[in-house]
Parts: sequence; structure tokens; C-alpha cells
Amino acid sequence: MNCQSATENVFCELIADRQEDPIELAMLHSPVVRDLRRCLGSRNVLSAPSELEVYDCDGFTLQRHRPDAVVFPRDAAQVAQIVKACQRHAVSVVPRGAGTSLAGGCLPVGGGVVVMLTRMNRIVEIQVRDRMAVVEAGVANIRLNRALAGTGYHFAPDPSSQGASTIGGNVATNAGGPHTLKYGVTVNHVLGLEAVLGDGSIVQLGPVEDPAGLDLIGVLVGGEGTLAIVTKAWVRLTPDPQDYRTLRAVFNTLDDATRTVSRIIAAGIIPAAMELMDQAIISAIEEAFHFGFPLDAGAILIIEVDGPVAGLERQTEQIVEFCRGSGAREVLHAATPEERALLWKCRKSAAGALGRLSPSYFTQDGVVPRTRLPEIIRHILAIGKKYDVRIVNVAHAGDGNVHPVMLVDERDPQQVERAKAAGRELLEECIRCGGSITAEHGIGVEKIELMDRLFAEEDLRAMARVRQAFDPTGRLNPGKVLPPMYNLVAGLK
Amino acid sequence: MITTRESLPLIETVAPADQAAVAEVVRTARDQEKAIYPIGGGSALDYGVCPGVPGVGLSLKNLKRVVDHAVDDMTITVEAGVTMAQLSELLAAQRQRLPVDAVRPGQATIGGVVATGAFGPRRYACGTIRDYVLGLRAVDGQGSAFSAGGRVVKNAAGYDLCRLLVGSLGTLAVITQVTLMVRPQPETSAFLVADLLDFDQAERLLDGLVRTKTLPVAVELLTRRAQQGNPVLGPMVQQSAARLFVGFEGTAGEVEWMVDRLRDQWRELGIAAPIAVAASDAPALWQWLRESDGSAAEVQINVRPGATARLIENLVELDGACSIRAHAGNGVIRLGLPPREPEDFVMFLRGRLRPAVVAARGKMVVRSYPDDVELTAEDVWGPPGDGAAVMRAIKDRFDPDGILNRGRFVF
Repeated sequence: MNCQSATENVFCELIADRQEDPIELAMLHSPVVRDLRRCLGSRNVLSAPSELEVYDCDGFTLQRHRPDAVVFPRDAAQVAQIVKACQRHAVSVVPRGAGTSLAGGCLPVGGGVVVMLTRMNRIVEIQVRDRMAVVEAGVANIRLNRALAGTGYHFAPDPSSQGASTIGGNVATNAGGPHTLKYGVTVNHVLGLEAVLGDGSIVQLGPVEDPAGLDLIGVLVGGEGTLAIVTKAWVRLTPDPQDYRTLRAVFNTLDDATRTVSRIIAAGIIPAAMELMDQAIISAIEEAFHFGFPLDAGAILIIEVDGPVAGLERQTEQIVEFCRGSGAREVLHAATPEERALLWKCRKSAAGALGRLSPSYFTQDGVVPRTRLPEIIRHILAIGKKYDVRIVNVAHAGDGNVHPVMLVDERDPQQVERAKAAGRELLEECIRCGGSITAEHGIGVEKIELMDRLFAEEDLRAMARVRQAFDPTGRLNPGKVLPPMYNLVAGLK
Repeated sequence: MITTRESLPLIETVAPADQAAVAEVVRTARDQEKAIYPIGGGSALDYGVCPGVPGVGLSLKNLKRVVDHAVDDMTITVEAGVTMAQLSELLAAQRQRLPVDAVRPGQATIGGVVATGAFGPRRYACGTIRDYVLGLRAVDGQGSAFSAGGRVVKNAAGYDLCRLLVGSLGTLAVITQVTLMVRPQPETSAFLVADLLDFDQAERLLDGLVRTKTLPVAVELLTRRAQQGNPVLGPMVQQSAARLFVGFEGTAGEVEWMVDRLRDQWRELGIAAPIAVAASDAPALWQWLRESDGSAAEVQINVRPGATARLIENLVELDGACSIRAHAGNGVIRLGLPPREPEDFVMFLRGRLRPAVVAARGKMVVRSYPDDVELTAEDVWGPPGDGAAVMRAIKDRFDPDGILNRGRFVF
């Protein structure tokens, strides 16, 4: 095995030293596993229960399913071999990157073979002249951005998971992040894809800005690995702004903060990012990072504008005025690039810091029209009280994208059930406000039950046709996105 | 003599009064096994393969309702028959806009713009219509209405059927309603323009734009012959080969700074006296750059941005009478071809143009061509790519009888 890091070395040795004890033999030598070993070599196929346990969930820990095998392909040709082998044995295929999905997007529902794309991690090419980079699916978002440092360009989608999450995963979920307010989500930055279809064929779509024919790239992005397994992406690079102004505005109440966001957007100002954090999150972050956030603040907005220096002062002044006019008690500028970097680190690590408040938590993802933000936050707080679940809030506020975080103790099943019910109700509230049940995490398994609340039957049927067209056997990442009745292969018109 | 194609083979044209009636028309046509040709403002009837099968024209001109303009959310929902000019006017009243350029906005409808995947000079910074459609309603080939997307600016729920329908030329479904993300109107705009001696110089300037700290909204490279009718600038000096237009938008301070900065940068690259087009003249220039130049045929070529100038040079060598307007920052070339005899046109297309484009690793689509020329789908759209089988499978599921825009698209 071609190990690439110290960690992976240890891992390789563990696999090499593995004793094939008799109890595990049945699993190890199932026909599909034998087939996969033939294709990839036995060191690239895990099939012992003890090894598979690691892959029984992703960032969404409320459901667990153990896969039948986990495989580590090196290139698209191997992914194609895996898909063909799985088709021969009528086994499901579940693509997985870093496993940071918060919606159970890489959960092997009902078993199947998990395809780990993390070893396909080459940055193939960076072409600044063409404002494009070519990367394999397993490249971590942050690695691409580090490689781009100094070129004057970056890859704009910046999900909070970017330190781990892969470009393939970003593509599969159409990932967003704080700066999507100005720069758009992943689909706005994908020029081409190489992917393996359900029949094991490898296709290259693009890289071309205007497809002659249907925009299959636009559908594959956000397809959650149910339409094809993305193995390579041609991504658009975005120029680094000349400069930034990063503000943090401190409010006594959440309501004041959310009204500020609505007013800024309504005035036609679109900052690069506008992030909301409530009091509980602020406390957790402060404890973790000692940034200097006031612990008695009801909410903080991080607002960033970027672009040519010539325009920044005026935009900043306007925003400060809106903040003060809506009751901000303090508006501070990040004085240095280091302070700005720390501020963003605090924001993006918010979820991690919550470990200080609760043994476990799960993060919701809902979205409403931007002006309904104050309303949805009020509902979220009320729902927390109703279900006796502690809910804290971060939000990509400028997009109307809320991330209520439910703090639970997973060892208490009743608490977990109450949290699930609260999560469901707050998403229903998002629908009622004219919004959607996910802005950037995807449907996965978590939200499948709400799909028919958001969409009418004919809308879901239209989606089911697309899935059938890509993957008639339905073996790619089953149990995701569409409710079960829409996955029936036969009988759908 | 060659004329531009202006009509489809229509048996009759019907104009349903509302969205429900559109579904009724499609169902009836399907039952009677008739082809359907959806028509918006009729500004792109010559786009795609000239269809051979007569059918029913389905005009969406009566679908003109503004369903919802959520001004403070910066979204708008309109029916498909609203024209781009009407949409602009509605938005402008709130100091908003849809920053997607469409040819002939007084005629072009939003439904047509979505179906054809329209774009224009502003795509360098603002993208294409693809980037603005948040949701839509449509009627599939069996007369069944469905919705896609929603009305929030970020939405990851289910498959993005909006993207699938954008640019699908109405072959999967007839679009009846669209929800769009809109943007604030910029305070002002300006251009900096350079006359270029040759295409090496063009590439040097284009390469310089990749490294500039200014934020151009449009990067347009026009050959000599494409300068006719420029409402703002006079003819190019005799020895220059092309003209580069860089458009900026923003606050007055930003635009002024960007124009000054680029002027300095260009001076270092040997452009002694770039022409600045001030705010007062800029709107006329934007409009002129957006429109097509009335050539007998128009071909769209997509190539990697770094190969654009070289390919344009080759194209000019291939046909000295051609006129080229390129969204050069994006590697999109709009090649206008002069009149030719039909056989010559086909021979030129197959024998000279496509090989030149393929050699530059580009893609090519014939956007419009004269009535008396007969082209195959492969001539117009290019050879089927890797995705062809999936596209076909999608088409078969949305329009199993193949009645929508039969024969015009890739399938």
C-alpha cells in the first residue's frame, strides 16, 4: 500500500497485521468482498466487523448502519470496478469523503459498500490564467485553499467543516459557508466533473461554462452521491479581494441582531458574510478561544465586507449605522489580519466549542426568506422551550440560513426523541415561512420524512425520474434524498 | 439568397390564458400526437436545429402576472411571459436588477431566457441566468405541472431541477413561472477600452486582468469587423486588430479607482492611451455589447480563457469577413459569419470551423443559421459527449412521446 502520512502508515500496518479470525471469516469471504479484493487488493478492502464499525455513521450520529465492506480506491477506474462489482452482487454503493455530513449523507442504510474517496487526494492542476483548479474528489477544501495561497485566488465555498470536508463532499451536498452570501454556493464554482455512473461507466462533463445539452453538472452538484460518484472536479477560482473590513456588532437581544440583518439586506447592501451567534454560543467560544467576546451579550453579528479598498469605508460606515440604529451597543473592527483570522476561526469552530456545554449535540440546517429571520429565530426559541431542549443558534444570517444546535445527552433516549421532534417542528416552521428544510447540509437520511411536506407529489416524481435516469438500479447511496416510495424502480412515469 | 430563420413549422399557435391552460394544451397535443413548440417573445426562434415536424406553437405571451416581488428579500416571482424589459422596469423601481444580459429585452421573455440559458457581457462577474433561478414551475411532456426549487437564496433540498431546465430549450418541460434572486443596482458604471495591434497583445492584456486587483464586470474582446455601429466610440485606428472593453460597476469611488488602476496597469503593458467611457455613455455601450450584430449565422465557441485570443486569431484567418465578439474573460466566443451559399456554409462548418475549434480543445454550438441551410443535430450541438445517454434517459422520462421542441435540441 502506498501510505501517505504517519497516521496512514499506522493504519496500513494495522490492516497488514490483521488476523482473520474464524468468526469474521464469513463476512471476509462474502462473494462481493472476494470480488472487491480481486479488483483492489485485499489491503484496500475492509470487511471485518471491528473495522467496519468506524464507518457506521458520519457527522449525524443519531442513526448507525454498519457497511458490508469499506474500500479505498485510488482512481476513477477503481471506483468504476467497485461499482460494477457491487452491481454484479446486487449490493449498494455509498460514496464517502471525510464523513462530516450532518444529515447522514454517507450512512450505509441497509449495509452496502462504503467507497472512501479520501485517497483520491491529488490536486491535479492549478491554472491561474484560466481561473480554474482540477482536483480529485478526496482533496480537503482547506488543502486546495492552502495550495492556492499566494496565487491571488481561492476556492470560494467555505463550509465550517472545510478543515476536513472534501471537494467531493462539497460537490455532493452543494456546500455553502459564511461567504456564500456574496460568492454563492458550490454549484456556482464547478466547471466540470468526472463521475462514475451507476452502471460503472466513467463520464467527464465539462469543463465548459455552457453545456451543449442538459446541465448534468448542475444536477450532480447537490445530488448527495445518489446519481453518480464524483471522482474529480474542475473548480472555478475566485480572486482574493484587495482588502476586508470585518466587524463584530454586539447586541443585547437576538431580536435586535436579526432585525439589523434584515435591514441591511433590504437596503440593498450585500456584505461578503453576515454571521449570527447567540449568547450561549458566544460563551462556549469565549471559554474555548478567549477572544474577548462580552459574555452578557444577547447576540453578536460578524459582518464582513470585501473588495477594492476604495469602496470599503463607505460600506462599512453604512453597516455601522444600521447596527447602531438597531440597538447595537458596540461595533468593533478587526484591527489586524490576525484578529480577523481569529474571529473567523471562532465562528467556524463554534460547533466544536459546544462540547463544553453538552455531551452531544446535533446541528440543524433550515432556511427562510431573509426578512423572516427574526420570526424564525423567535420560533426556534419557543420550540426549544416547548420540547424542553436547549437550543443555541448560529446562522448564516444574511442568507436566512439558520443552524439551531440542539444540545442533548445521547445516553438519554427521551431527550434525543424530544430533540428530534423539536428539529422536525422547526423545519416545518421554516417551510411555513416560505423557506426550505436544508440550505447546505443536504437531505441525507435525516430529513427524508420532510420532503413531502416541502414538495408536492408531482415535484418529487420529477426528481425521481432524474434519479432513475442516472441510476436505474437505485444502488447508489440508497435511502437518501427521496422518500422510499419515490425510489421504486418500476411503476414511475 | 440567405435569410435569417424567423419561424418554426407551425400548424397553429395557441396562447393559453393561464398556467393551468398550458398543461391542458400540452395534454391535448400529446393525445393528438402533435409536436409542441413553446414560444416566449420569439427572439430566439432560430436557436437550435431547424425542426422538420410541423406542430403547435405554444405562446406564453399571456402569462404576464407578477406573482410576488419580495423586495426586501431581493427575490421576485413572475410568470414566463413577462419580458426582460418589463422585469427590468419593475426591479429598477426598487433600485434592483437581474444582472443577466439578454438580447432584445423588449421582446425576450424571462421564460425564454431561462429556457435558452441566456448570458451576456456581465457574465464575467455576475454569471448567467443559471445562477439566478431559485425556483420555477413547469409542465412536462405529459401535461403534468410541477415545481422545482423554492424562493430562498440557498436551498439544498432534493435535486436541482431548476438547473436541469435552464438551457434545456423547453425540451423537458414548458416553463410557466420563475422565481429569481435579484441584486441591488450599482450606483454607476464605466469602461476602459484599448485598441490592440494584434492578438498577442490581446492575450497580454487578458492575462493582466487575471492578476488585477480591480473587479471587472465585463471583459469583451471584439474584432475589427464587429465594431460597426458602436454608438459611443469611433472606428479603430487602421492597424489595430481588435478592441478590448473592460466594464466596471459599483460606487462612483470604486469605479473611478478601478478605471485609474487598470489604466496604470495597461500603460505598463504598452497601451499608451486607453479610452475611458464615462458613466454618461456607458449604458449605450452596455446595450450595444449585449446585442447580436445581425450576422447571417452565429456560432458560440467555448474554450479555456487562456486560449481565447489565439483561437480568435485563427478564426479571423479562416474567414476574414467574420465578426467576433467574445466574452473573453470566460472564453466564450460569439462568431458571426457572413452569408454563403448553403453548401459552402456546411462545408465551412464541418471542414474548417469545427476542426479549428477542436484543435483548440473548445466546444462549439451553432446558435443560429439561415433557413436554406440543412444541418444535423451534431452540426449544431456538436458530437454527443459522455453525458448523452443520461440526457436521453432524462428526456425519455420527462417527455416520453418526444413532443416538446421535437428535433431542435440534442435529442
